Amino acid sequence: MVIATTTTNNNIKREGIVHDVKLSSVGTAKVTDSKLVWEPSNMDLAMKLHYLRGVYFFSSRAAEGLTIMKIKESMFFWLNPFYVICGRLRRSDSGRPYIKCNDSGVRFIEANSSKRLDDFLEDVKEESSLLRLLVSGQVIGPELIFSPTVLIQITTFKCGGISVGLSWAHVLGDAFSASHFINAWGQSLAHDISQDFSLSSLKPQTRTETFPNSIFPKPLSLKMVDPVGDHWIPPTKSKMDIFSFHLTATKLAHLQSFLSGQSETQLIPIFECLCAIVWHIVAKVQNYGEPRIVTVCKNQSSNGRREILGNKHSLSTVKAEFAVSDAEPKELAKLVLQKAVDERTEIEEIMNKENGTCDVIVYGANLTFVDMGEVNLYGLELKGEKPAFVNYFVDGVGDGGVILVLPGPENSGKNGGDGRAVTMILPDSVMLGVKYELKSEWNIA
Amino acid sequence: MAQILPDYSNSVKLKYVKLGYQYLVNHILTFLLVPIILTILIQVLSLRLDEIIKLLTALKLDLVQILCSSFLVLFTLTLYFMSKPRSIYLLDYACFKPPVTCRVPFSTFMEHSKLNTSDSKSVNFQMRILERSGLGEETALPPANHYIPPRPTMEDARAEAEQVIFSAVDSLLGKTNLKAKDIDILIVNCSLFSPTPSLSAMVINKYKMRSNIKSFNLSGMGCSAGLISVDLAKHLLQVHANSYALVISTEIITPNYYSGTQRSMLLPNCLFRMGSAAILLTNHRRDRTRAKYRLVHSVRTHMGADDRAYRCVYEEEDPEGKIGISLSKDLMVIAGEALKSNITTIGPLVLPTSEQLLFLLTLIGRKIINPKWKPYIPDFKQAFEHFCIHAGGRAVIDKLQKNLQLSVEHVEASRMALHRFGNTSSSSLWYELSYIEAKGKMKKGDKVWQIGFGSGFKCNSAVWICNRTIKTPTDGPWLECVHRYPVHIPEIVKL
Repeated sequence: MVIATTTTNNNIKREGIVHDVKLSSVGTAKVTDSKLVWEPSNMDLAMKLHYLRGVYFFSSRAAEGLTIMKIKESMFFWLNPFYVICGRLRRSDSGRPYIKCNDSGVRFIEANSSKRLDDFLEDVKEESSLLRLLVSGQVIGPELIFSPTVLIQITTFKCGGISVGLSWAHVLGDAFSASHFINAWGQSLAHDISQDFSLSSLKPQTRTETFPNSIFPKPLSLKMVDPVGDHWIPPTKSKMDIFSFHLTATKLAHLQSFLSGQSETQLIPIFECLCAIVWHIVAKVQNYGEPRIVTVCKNQSSNGRREILGNKHSLSTVKAEFAVSDAEPKELAKLVLQKAVDERTEIEEIMNKENGTCDVIVYGANLTFVDMGEVNLYGLELKGEKPAFVNYFVDGVGDGGVILVLPGPENSGKNGGDGRAVTMILPDSVMLGVKYELKSEWNIA
Repeated sequence: MAQILPDYSNSVKLKYVKLGYQYLVNHILTFLLVPIILTILIQVLSLRLDEIIKLLTALKLDLVQILCSSFLVLFTLTLYFMSKPRSIYLLDYACFKPPVTCRVPFSTFMEHSKLNTSDSKSVNFQMRILERSGLGEETALPPANHYIPPRPTMEDARAEAEQVIFSAVDSLLGKTNLKAKDIDILIVNCSLFSPTPSLSAMVINKYKMRSNIKSFNLSGMGCSAGLISVDLAKHLLQVHANSYALVISTEIITPNYYSGTQRSMLLPNCLFRMGSAAILLTNHRRDRTRAKYRLVHSVRTHMGADDRAYRCVYEEEDPEGKIGISLSKDLMVIAGEALKSNITTIGPLVLPTSEQLLFLLTLIGRKIINPKWKPYIPDFKQAFEHFCIHAGGRAVIDKLQKNLQLSVEHVEASRMALHRFGNTSSSSLWYELSYIEAKGKMKKGDKVWQIGFGSGFKCNSAVWICNRTIKTPTDGPWLECVHRYPVHIPEIVKL
């Protein structure tokens, strides 16, 4: 059977950096009533062609004594409340996808690396696409009923350090959902299953009301793609490259004050500053067809959120009426901060009209900025130790590209305020120019 | 309405007639002897003492004759007691409870099958088998079989053997307060995995058993090998006095995953699951109060002389060179014949006289009077309180339920063991027995009939009588889930 992937990992794996790959499955310890189903919301289905891929690096100290059997055993208990994630997608009679909670489980991948953890991290700084060796590139399809929505890869390095690669289908939920899910595993390992969010979204969700008479403007953040059937990956014309860089708290403060200007009393938030900078650079690089519209996606913090699963992030677009490449980044920053137009309702309306059966992309429909700064990515702890480094990227993005703003490693910030890690997924043709501009104009990376 | 009442009263009348007949025939000796003894007693008591003495002196017995006759009586009694077979007691037994990490839900099994093979026909076939199999969602496969594709190395097979056997033996030694050095006889049966040194040597090595232990390793003898081991232990315990025999019944699944596409060979993949049982037998008289059961009969029947029966369950290479166990389409028919053969031997040993008489009369009637009479099927429910039918698959249990005219309650233990643990081969009988105990149904004096089927084709039986009422809650593999049972198992489970 063909396992669909976004890239051919085999090319890179030929070098033998990651080898001895073994596949199996882990599921729930308790039997789930197979009559239970979970219905994704309209927003969830709009995100179905996207995949979050996260990699967590742990030192050998944190991974000491953690055998594969011990990991698997802890996972069976960890997955008990997450039986939705262990289910598989089906289509109802109307064609709308839903998840049948049949305990199929999460795919578990074991691998070894002949490199030491520190060496690998150094290599990743140069070439972020090496991260693809540590997390599965599998997508949903071509058969829905046999496609896992979550895959976890444990890679053991020569020095004893490990990496945990989480592959998360965006249809299940946003970055907050994914992060909370994997953090709960750390708690399960430490036998601390104190946090108990409810997965109450098992009842049929109240669908958004249809407004047959109201006319909604077509959302700019959504782009229809050719029907993909049961193979959930958008057709892309360009090959996407990944590049990741880190900004210390000091550098961020510097950028903030620069963009906010001396006279301004209120500082523009970090995320908007970064949006402005990158938008400006991309516009400069793309001489013809500069992006006039960008999509901004913010992951809410966990406060006041009762259900883990589901895409609850905010989604808005920003339209520039002027030439972006000539504009001042300050102007762009103010534009992103003040003139973002929320489009969640419009998106839900469109998905509702088609009963969730149409195929769309959100990430990459335009140049997309995703704020994950408040997501507790460093909350996954092994033996009380936080990860040495965490990085995320996205697969299944459109040609517009995606920029993720992630929290930086927690011990890198001083005097309060951590740095940020920025991961850019842009077409090959654009990436080189962007890297150059970052270096020359802004002295970043 | 009027029609029903007469039928009802007729059936009630018939029931009483039947009961009366059974009581009469089963206690015929009592009914005959009691009046005779009473008559003699009355006669003797009516005589006066001097008349009795006159009677005795008339016999003209002298000392030598009296001594010889009493010597003869003593000699006969001694001969009788010496030649009486030793009682074999089952002190206790323990079954392996698979860890939750080995659990295989239907959907995981189907997904892995799909990823392991490119032949969609095989996948669909396996799905249909699984839907009708009677298995539940908690059966277990060993860790090596969870990989895509399974990686059955010898090391993994040994690891599985160690895991299932040592767990059961540890539990058993703990329950019986016995030390490994007390074991005099060790019999291990595992059909499909036979390494060198043997699994019995593996057990002796792990538990540091005595150097003069009598160990045996039975391999290749199929799913009925558990009862063969018990039978062997019984014979050994007749020869060796005051001994403990440890019998370990298991099947190692790791090396036996069939990766081909022959339909006749795909069934074991779907049905066979991890399991093992360790049983402690003894002939020590001091254990007769604390033992759980006493072995009454063990009967072995082998149909191997018939070619069809011999080839019924056959391990061979498929056209692609992959080894698998092929099950023939005649399996149920041959199982029925084997059962009939076994019943013919065990029937006279266990059935009450009333049933045997009816059977004999019907047999004579069919031979002499009218061959068209229906053969009388003896009612085994009168001989046994509990039945443990090898959980080979749903079809086997259905067939036996029909053939022996058993009720739903009688086969409940077999069906529920199949649901919870799958087909664990030779150890399945012990999981079923454990279920009956866990449900609190085992009372002192209850008779249990264990029936095992296996390649060869063999049908083996063991009859146990419960020595002491088993109190619940018991420990064992059913401890955490027995409250959920019995469950209704639908004909087809929609995946």
